[in-house]
Amino acid sequence: MNVLKVPARTIAVFVLPCLLLYVVLVFVPILVSFYTGLLNWDGITTAKFIGFDNFKTMFFHDPVFWPSVRRTLLYAVASMLEIPLCLFMAILLNRFIKRRANTLVSIYFVPVILSVVIIGQLWKTIYNPASMGGMLNGILISLGLDSWQHGWLTEPKIAMYFVYIISLWQYFGYHLLIQFTGVQNLPEEVYEAARIDGAEGFKADRYITLPLIVPILKISIVLAFIGSLQSFDMVMVVTGGGPAHATDVISTLMYNNSFLSLKYGYGSAIATFLVLVCLICTFFINFIFGRVEKKVG
Amino acid sequence: MGNKPLKTLALVLAGALTLGLAACGNANNNSNSGAASSNGGSSSTASDKKVTITFQNIQPDPTTPSYKTLHDLVDSYMKEHPNVKIELDTLNTDQQKLKLKTQAASKEVPDITIVNPAAQMQPFVDAGLLAPLNDMLDQNGLKDTYQAGLLDNYTFDGNVYAVPDGNNIEVVYYNKDLFQQAGISQVPTTFDELLADVKALKAKGITPIAIGEKDTWTGSFLFMNILLRTNGGPGFLKDVVDGKRTFEDPAFVEAVDRFQDLVQAGAFPEGATSIDANAGGNLFKTGQAAMFIIGTWETGAIDSSSVGSQVGAFRFPTVDGKGDLNEFMLAPGSAFAVSANSEHLQETKDFLNYFAVNYPKKQFEYKNAVGLGQKVDGDLKSAGYSDLAMEVASMFNDIKGGDLSFDNTMNPAVSQAHLSSIQNLFVQKVDSATVAKEHQTAFEANK
Repeated sequence: MNVLKVPARTIAVFVLPCLLLYVVLVFVPILVSFYTGLLNWDGITTAKFIGFDNFKTMFFHDPVFWPSVRRTLLYAVASMLEIPLCLFMAILLNRFIKRRANTLVSIYFVPVILSVVIIGQLWKTIYNPASMGGMLNGILISLGLDSWQHGWLTEPKIAMYFVYIISLWQYFGYHLLIQFTGVQNLPEEVYEAARIDGAEGFKADRYITLPLIVPILKISIVLAFIGSLQSFDMVMVVTGGGPAHATDVISTLMYNNSFLSLKYGYGSAIATFLVLVCLICTFFINFIFGRVEKKVG
Repeated sequence: MGNKPLKTLALVLAGALTLGLAACGNANNNSNSGAASSNGGSSSTASDKKVTITFQNIQPDPTTPSYKTLHDLVDSYMKEHPNVKIELDTLNTDQQKLKLKTQAASKEVPDITIVNPAAQMQPFVDAGLLAPLNDMLDQNGLKDTYQAGLLDNYTFDGNVYAVPDGNNIEVVYYNKDLFQQAGISQVPTTFDELLADVKALKAKGITPIAIGEKDTWTGSFLFMNILLRTNGGPGFLKDVVDGKRTFEDPAFVEAVDRFQDLVQAGAFPEGATSIDANAGGNLFKTGQAAMFIIGTWETGAIDSSSVGSQVGAFRFPTVDGKGDLNEFMLAPGSAFAVSANSEHLQETKDFLNYFAVNYPKKQFEYKNAVGLGQKVDGDLKSAGYSDLAMEVASMFNDIKGGDLSFDNTMNPAVSQAHLSSIQNLFVQKVDSATVAKEHQTAFEANK
């Protein structure tokens, strides 16, 4: 701090507005929602304090809760596994597309700017049954693979995976952009030095790009992980958590309980759980990356 | 280059930031104090005091008759009462439900808002958020305009807390052309005939029954018809609430079985659970599906759709010889309620009285009088209503009784369990006893 020779009160002037906003808009609501989680409350009438009963119900008696958690975590893992693919694409783009690589990246980025509702409707049309003009099933039929047709979003066993695919597709460009920027900014001299030592192409990637890109990877992975833990909009638009909870994730379950079943207290308990999971996971990812960075650095 | 200019710049920027924040705060304060001052005073007699009434409503679509009715009435009232300003807070149905719940939690219900009948409005009444409207109903003979018994759905402990915008029943709309193509000459009057028709339509590649089951209420509303029949009449859910029967009763189990027969016969569009309610209805209105089992509020929209001239309506058939064709699923409309904490209760009630008294006339003019909860002078035929509208209107005259929808009878938590349980039936065959057990468990857990 003192490197900048800025007095403490200037720092305070800068930090305070954001800090205040953060405390008021993030920290306080989290505490309030934890407290609400201890109530038996419909959000309208008088609340009754019931201690940890909501949490007990959630952990031991709600048949929908744990499957939702499992689906959410699977979602998070799937979106993390996407990142190496993005990195690979970024490296290829950087190496082989000498002109206008940026244009390509921008094109990949388009789905990210589109509204989730538009993307949801688009993919719903792709997944529709052939009788309703579904593209995927239509293609399967024209290939003579009639028996491969499915109700992609309506068969409980597979619906969730096809919701994942939409989100993975949407955020591919986002992480590609991050990785691409990272790869582009790596100093050329290092590669030149490596070339002299006989490391080129993928060998250089393994021993130079990868270790240097770790901090950028970390950003992508944290963003992807937390983003998918909180995923709500896509599920809501595409399936609404149905059929019969088959695509419910933690956040949609929370919404349904709070606002549709009018179990506001119970919904808040789920919200508290979600916050905790996010915190623990972020901590965990940071820990792992700390190790990795130490090892490669 | 010294540090000085940089530092000054930094301070200026930081100052601007804080100012920005302060400005936001101020803006809020201003609007609050503005509202407070315009709300202030004028609680009793002074009729020339400036008054602002907030009217939360669910008519966002300017093409609908209900929208035109609402705006006409609000405008003409403001013209007659220059001191009254009515501010519309227009939302669509789901948004309004959500917003009202949020407002209710902080006890800031708008002067006039929209609630749904019976069990759905109970929490708001219990929380003391709504004002009794008995005195308002007595003015200008408003009470007598409502159909007998209709207001019961909005009455708690002898007080009426809301006045409905309509009263609908659930009927089966059908496309005569498509029926003819499938060689069906008569509308079904028994469930077995209905099943046979479904199969005949399916064989011709026509979707038999339009539905959008992503919005789970649609499937439940249809299912309840079957329950109304297998129970031999209305009152099953009420018996469950009163503890006289359980969901494991044969009437309920049979209804689940019969409903699954429909699903298995391929009655519904493929992928029904990912179609939302509007899109489901459009399958019928664009001639892609042969039947549409829905509330009579759709009459106007079906009339004006491309298949309007080919559409007829019939009563939901009897099931296994049980039930009466003239018992219907009843859907008393969403209703206008007044906030108990309204700063100018009297003015609000006066306006609502004017609104409700003139509502049926306007709706009649806009050809939207079918499914109106109030008596209206005038002859549908000579006013140019369609054959379909006449046909549906005649069914209203035969109503012997019926049930309210599931979510109007049971509390929200049980309703949600029910809705997703029925949605499940669309995607897989489930043992009916299991479905019954699911319902009973949810009911006992959320009493």
